[in-house]
Amino acid sequence: MDAALKLWAVIFAVGLLNYLSRLSFIAVFARRSMPPLLGRALKYVPAAMLTAMILPMVLTDPVAGNAMNANPKVAAAVIAGVVAFFSRSMLLTMGTGMAALWLLQALG
Amino acid sequence: MWHGAEVVYHGAVTIFPLTSLVWRFCPDAGSFMRRLLASSDFRAGFVEMLPACVALVPFGLVCGVGAAAAGASWLAALGMSAIIFSGAAQVLAGQMLAGGAPLAVIVLTCFVLGLRFLMYSAAMAPYLKALPARWQQALAFLLTDQAFAAAIRRFNAKDDPHGGAQHFLGCGMALYICWQVTNMIGFFAGNLIPASWSLEFAVPLCFLALVAPLLRDAPTIVAAIVAGIAVVALGGLPMKLNLIAAGVIGITAGTMADLARDRWTRR
Repeated sequence: MDAALKLWAVIFAVGLLNYLSRLSFIAVFARRSMPPLLGRALKYVPAAMLTAMILPMVLTDPVAGNAMNANPKVAAAVIAGVVAFFSRSMLLTMGTGMAALWLLQALG
Repeated sequence: MWHGAEVVYHGAVTIFPLTSLVWRFCPDAGSFMRRLLASSDFRAGFVEMLPACVALVPFGLVCGVGAAAAGASWLAALGMSAIIFSGAAQVLAGQMLAGGAPLAVIVLTCFVLGLRFLMYSAAMAPYLKALPARWQQALAFLLTDQAFAAAIRRFNAKDDPHGGAQHFLGCGMALYICWQVTNMIGFFAGNLIPASWSLEFAVPLCFLALVAPLLRDAPTIVAAIVAGIAVVALGGLPMKLNLIAAGVIGITAGTMADLARDRWTRR
């Protein structure tokens, strides 16, 4: 498939599915309540999906290959994770995470 | 080289048809915006989101850079940020496109990632019941992780559905504007950002800011750990299939831990 066409197909398909998910219980199933098992399972979507996306990004270092002991991203991510856990602040997490990475890169 | 003139030209070319479309279909848009800006709830929501908007700037830039690197046209890059309007889904789609995954796999993986919106939607629904359908449709479009967290806090604090809805709209519009602008700047001017800044690290940091505060009960921790192990263990799968597999395995593990905990405490 043509690359540009594939990209637009992804944009519209993912955009539509995202919008339908967002609209679901607000409008489409407004008269229905969430099935209990589905409600239970959905609680774990962010933890599972986002962790699955975080790890490969943190563990692979574009410069040093996959050397975990020489990868400052791991330590920076742990620091940022602790800050996020206690502060629940996006800005503080982003600030300390980037600062920690720059510091570790400068030291390493 | 900086494409400053291009940014201004494309911005003007995009914004003009959009605004004329708005006026064509909603002739009262101007007075609506004026009333909105006069609403203290709307302004409070907009201002409340500004710190999160600042935190999202590097993420938005990375998304724009990623779209450019994937060979997207500026219109397709704008389509990703304006239509998908979910950084996680945009990054995921970009990675999978680069990994050569077929359309169905990309859409399915992004759908699993977007399932969290079902949860947000169900949690938000009781507060939006009294609102006109147009408001519900607009607010649903602006439902994101950050806007949801801020809006649900406001709905719980004050029993005022209309004020809460305006506050939500303020949050959503602040994030939406910030997202389009940062994505476009990343697309056109991303090559100005030095690689030594490691700006791409902003993406896992944003996800960490969402995930880490959730890790306060056992089933959620189980879901995260199992998904984390699975994504690394299945790293050899082609077409980035390890992402959706790890997601589904993690969700299943969390749900089973939740059910087991219930059975345990009932005894």
